[in-house]
Amino acid sequence: MTTTLKKMGALVFASAVSFSLLSGNAMANGAIGDHVNNLHAHIGEYTEEVHWLESKFGSVVDAYEAKDKNLKTDVLMEYWEEVDFHSAIETQYVPIYATIWQGIYGVKMAIDNGKPVADVRVEQEKLNHALWQALGAVKLASQYQKKGLIDQVKTTEVEPTTGPEVIDDIKTRLDRVVAKYAEQLHEVATTLVHDTYLQRFEGVEGDLIAKDAALVEDLEKDFNVTLPQAISQDEGVDAVRHVVEAMQVKLDKARKLLVEAEKGRKDVF
Amino acid sequence: MQRRTFLQGLAAATALGSLPLGVANALSPMASVSVESLPKLEGDLTLYLGRGEGGLYENVLQAIEKRNPKLNLKIRRGGSAALANTIVAEKKAGVKRADLFWAVDTGSIGMVTDAGAAKPLPTDLTTQLKEGFQYPSWSPVTGRVRTLPYNTQRVSPEQIPDSVMALADSDLKLGWAPAYSSFQSFVTAMRLLEGEKATRAWLKGVNRNAKKYAGELGVVMGVERGEVDVGFANHYYTLRLKSGKPDANVALAYTKNDAGCLVNASGIVALSDGDLPVNFIRYLLTHEVQSYLAREAYEIPLVQDVAQPEGLESLSTLTPPAMDLRNLADLRPTLNLMRDVGVL
Repeated sequence: MTTTLKKMGALVFASAVSFSLLSGNAMANGAIGDHVNNLHAHIGEYTEEVHWLESKFGSVVDAYEAKDKNLKTDVLMEYWEEVDFHSAIETQYVPIYATIWQGIYGVKMAIDNGKPVADVRVEQEKLNHALWQALGAVKLASQYQKKGLIDQVKTTEVEPTTGPEVIDDIKTRLDRVVAKYAEQLHEVATTLVHDTYLQRFEGVEGDLIAKDAALVEDLEKDFNVTLPQAISQDEGVDAVRHVVEAMQVKLDKARKLLVEAEKGRKDVF
Repeated sequence: MQRRTFLQGLAAATALGSLPLGVANALSPMASVSVESLPKLEGDLTLYLGRGEGGLYENVLQAIEKRNPKLNLKIRRGGSAALANTIVAEKKAGVKRADLFWAVDTGSIGMVTDAGAAKPLPTDLTTQLKEGFQYPSWSPVTGRVRTLPYNTQRVSPEQIPDSVMALADSDLKLGWAPAYSSFQSFVTAMRLLEGEKATRAWLKGVNRNAKKYAGELGVVMGVERGEVDVGFANHYYTLRLKSGKPDANVALAYTKNDAGCLVNASGIVALSDGDLPVNFIRYLLTHEVQSYLAREAYEIPLVQDVAQPEGLESLSTLTPPAMDLRNLADLRPTLNLMRDVGVL
């Protein structure tokens, strides 16, 4: 295993474990069934699908290069929506899921804007890279799932019950914000930010503010101004991801404070 | 008015309004009970739990479970209003899945009691609660009071009117969170107390001069930063901010005898007959649990003889309005009104 893949493995595991706390009903696309709850049995199928996607996306770019007048770039999304691999990566490692959508729109916008084919090929290469990276992530998740280290994907709401769990859930939800933004579902992304603030962060900030008022103030601004603005100003997936990553660093600090707060609490009885 | 001096006499002050007529006189308050004197809980219980303050309600539940190893407690979590709707829908369908419902707001409790799903509580339980918080079909657990946090560098207490209605006509720069459920309960109280026309005018008046925040901690922090002079928020946000930042430029003021100083409560309802659900409620009303929630969440204990949250001093001037808190369930006309005037 390469160093990159090892790093990714750790991320996949963390993401998958935290995702198991998240509701399955947050899925926007794809049915949740055996193909995500028994990943190992479907790795061959996913591998085929990645090859198929690579070839289909390639055929779109080839058609563009051939100046095919019948070319419609919406077909790029249709190909991606069609495969089971879609839900597998969305449930197992949503950051790469976002990157795939970013790649799809990279190719689409380059074609729609009449960019030189060399530029389109660069975007296509990024997309292909994301697909194979995603397959690696799913393979690794399948190993963990096979060993019983991650739960099956839940299809009913499971609420985090402690402060640190709430922070983990918030971080996963923010990854989903990037994913939904990358899918061009800007309203969905904005609503998810708003809901995450009201349903999650609001519940822990009371404890946090007694520990670090400046940190809470900073995150308040991120939730209510910085992130919604990054989405509404449509500055691109990288810009939104940058805001989310910065928030996640602050949330890690918040998590430590909440763990300390819990340790210092006296027993109820 | 000073921050630390508002809760003295809370029990007496709240008594007048929120107690159903006739019940108050029939019940005489008794002291809080220690967990040591309670019976062990044995058997199956399903609790629908509204989202609470971080993990603190969860800590209480875990402590109860630890103390009662023969209790098989199943918990369904969600928003209080959503769970109340579920209970009402289940009742209509002839299904009962929950034995208890612990909600973070009284409006959700009202939805369940109005639907006839609540079981009566014994008077020896309800009389543990302070006067004004004794109800026959549900039990408040902890309270919170509507307040006016103000920036101590920008305004003096004398500049703040003691009528919430007067704030709509003042020159003060205001901060509010109209989308926030506690604020909407407050507007519901205003609508019920002052009427729709006056509430509409108030919302329009404040909207001309108000900065909007997503939540009420945001309001309090906005006040502290000096973005606005005065805000509308529950008491505990200010206390928590002061706890983490003792020199924060924020203090609390209170209106008199109107929705601006409404005392709201979290509460619990027994949905099944028998001793087990009632005895479970007794655990939430113990001296220990009430003290824990007051200490850790700055919530106001509602049973007798339990100290207020640290940082609060009592004051007999608090005068919440006279109303049955369950009426706060009538939220839909409030939302329609707020949308109609363009604040939502």
